[in-house]
Amino acid sequence: MSKQAAAVPKKKRSFMELMKRREVQRGLVIVLFMFVPLLLLMTFTYIPFAKMVQFSFYDMKYIGERTFVGLQNYIDVFQREDIFSSLFVSLYYMGGAIVQLALALFFASLMVFKERGASFFKGAMFFPYLICGIAIGFIFKFFYARGFVLDSILQMFGMNMEDIPMWLQDQSINNIALAATSVWRYTGQNMILFLGAMMSVDSDLYEAASLDGANKWHQFIYIILPSIKSIVVLNLILSISGSLSAFEPPYVITNGTMGTGTYFVIMNRIAHENQKVGLACAMAIVLLAIIILCTVAQKLFFKYAFDDGTSDESKAAVRKRKKAEKAAKKAAQRAKGGQAK
Amino acid sequence: MKKQTLKRAASLAMASAMVFSLTACGGGGEDNDASSSGEAVPTIDQITVGEDYTDIEADITVLTNRTDIVDTVYAGYAEQFMELYPNINVQYEAVTDYEESLTLRLTTGDWGDLCFIPTGVDKSELSNYFTPLGDYDTLDPIYNFVSEKTYDGTVYGIANGGTANGVVYNKKVWADAGITELPKTPDEFLEDLQTIKDNTDAIPLYTNFSAGWPMGAWDAYIGIAATGNPDYMNHDIVHTKDPFAKQDDMTGPYAVYYTCYESVARGLVEEDPASSDWESSKTRINNGEIATMVLGSWAVQQCKDAGDTPDDVGYMPFPITVDGKQYAGAGGNYSFGINNQASTDNQIAAMVYLKWLIEDSTIYEDEGSIPALKGEELPDALADFEGVELLSDNPPVEGEEELFNDVNNESEVGINNDDYPNCYLLESALYGTKTLDEVVGEWNEQWSAAQEALGVDVNM
Repeated sequence: MSKQAAAVPKKKRSFMELMKRREVQRGLVIVLFMFVPLLLLMTFTYIPFAKMVQFSFYDMKYIGERTFVGLQNYIDVFQREDIFSSLFVSLYYMGGAIVQLALALFFASLMVFKERGASFFKGAMFFPYLICGIAIGFIFKFFYARGFVLDSILQMFGMNMEDIPMWLQDQSINNIALAATSVWRYTGQNMILFLGAMMSVDSDLYEAASLDGANKWHQFIYIILPSIKSIVVLNLILSISGSLSAFEPPYVITNGTMGTGTYFVIMNRIAHENQKVGLACAMAIVLLAIIILCTVAQKLFFKYAFDDGTSDESKAAVRKRKKAEKAAKKAAQRAKGGQAK
Repeated sequence: MKKQTLKRAASLAMASAMVFSLTACGGGGEDNDASSSGEAVPTIDQITVGEDYTDIEADITVLTNRTDIVDTVYAGYAEQFMELYPNINVQYEAVTDYEESLTLRLTTGDWGDLCFIPTGVDKSELSNYFTPLGDYDTLDPIYNFVSEKTYDGTVYGIANGGTANGVVYNKKVWADAGITELPKTPDEFLEDLQTIKDNTDAIPLYTNFSAGWPMGAWDAYIGIAATGNPDYMNHDIVHTKDPFAKQDDMTGPYAVYYTCYESVARGLVEEDPASSDWESSKTRINNGEIATMVLGSWAVQQCKDAGDTPDDVGYMPFPITVDGKQYAGAGGNYSFGINNQASTDNQIAAMVYLKWLIEDSTIYEDEGSIPALKGEELPDALADFEGVELLSDNPPVEGEEELFNDVNNESEVGINNDDYPNCYLLESALYGTKTLDEVVGEWNEQWSAAQEALGVDVNM
């Protein structure tokens, strides 16, 4: 009896002691602090996403009853011509993304050498990124409109109205015109990211290089580019996946007409005008899969071809070194063998 | 030591309670009988404005899509009403992107008291969100367009007036071109446009392509204006095989799309449809730079207001003649609906305001639309419609209330709800990539596939 009575408080104390232990306290703090952000993340990201996955298996409108149709929506996505042809429109935006990165790299390298007025241009070029996409759409809607801004500027330089293409109507040029607006919008932002990475390069390197007779081009190729490789790759991946999901320029400027409908614009039309919510959800998930595939493929490509910028030595250099070591070993062996003979 | 743990546990409980209370918003709104005065909600025909319910006290919120005039014109109506009913406080709330936001807000039940019913709400769903306003048989002789929001013999919404479908034109330009008689067939119309192009500087037909919806507006004519048949849109088209195919007497949907396609193909529209601009087009038709625009009669008032020569803006019936007679479809604007989740007092107050607004206010003179009340005079804008029979679509037969919407959505031909197929029609004409027969052939195919998928009886 007394033994039992003694055992109970002992157990209790051990629980309290357990709670007081450092590791347990740390664990508790972590769980408590994680609780709120995790809750928000679940509520606003993962639960809606799970719902979308669920919807993609249904034939449903926004309101009204839903019928389960299995994979039919996914089959439709792959069979419909209009959906897949819209992915080709994204190629224009990918082309735009390459131009945009090249421009951003160019301007960032100019500014890193502290040219006069660099901070003004930095601000001026970053500015478009601060305007909301819809407003940019309206700006360019009027910029490209027949006889408006762009046409009048070209006329000032002596071009005839007949020679100027209809920027939004002519199918050989309208997607390029739209992709140009997103280049205009994101170049500044990419430039700032590059500039940030370039600033972290030790400036002694430039000085040393110029003492060795390297010009600016050499400095760019052999010092800057290798040091910011990882941020270039990151920007490239972001731009490519961004161009697959291009939406605002075609939606606001042309409403996806005249052959400018990107995947997102078609998806929006199917979800809202035709109320095929299930099909649109399936489209969203297919796009997600495509973006993941593209990203992984890009990652692998860069890892194989250039290394992804995470290690100090590039793959090519490693291969060269290993080859040299091997050759040295062989030579040594041969030399040994020769001696033995 | 124990005290401290308790404290900690309590604060943890508090913290989580705070987080959960965030997520708990927006659940309520079911339990609403508590604040009612015990009276049942009457039907709208039982109310006498100015005499009944003068003692009711309520704050009601009215939702509208007219962001442009909500604080001026609409707030003015509310003030006039509040002089009559000082105990009812009417507040307007403008909603941008009305259709989509309101479709979502409806499902919460907590959106206000009186709204324009979004067109996306199916008729069978009406009773879930809106208070019955009366029987169809009682209200139909009193108000126009009630069939649009009737389900199972009960009316859930009354249209905020209506519009007749025709063509906006500048009288002076048409007269200057030497045209003395309004066209009655698609070919006469196209010839007249050609005459305007030859004889004046005006753009014969302005499509407003880049805004999207003015292209969708062409769909409004394929029913009554093109067939003279009030059953066409809600019944016949659903059961017809190849409804878009050409008919020998140049009537039916084909005639409408022919007018659109040919005017583009013959170069009778603006030079660059992709950069057309809706806001300035209103001024330009007013001052004679544009001769014609194919839009509902609601646009007439806006075009008149947009410039210095309002008297030049006229409205003519769509140029299709069926058996020697012209028809024009008249349809309701957005319909008013009352929130059935609101308290009884609020429902009654909203109904009183609704009745006052559609019967006693000046809203229809201000907007130039056909009044909600039957027997009132047509607006001046419809003067050219003499001899034209105004009809409105009959409600669908029982059991087929959603059939048109289902076939329409399933086929993605998008009549009256998707502008894209009409834009596609214009693009085909502009680039010459497809002939009209190919385009309507595609639509017929999609339509047939949808009819088959939904098991519709195709017998016409």
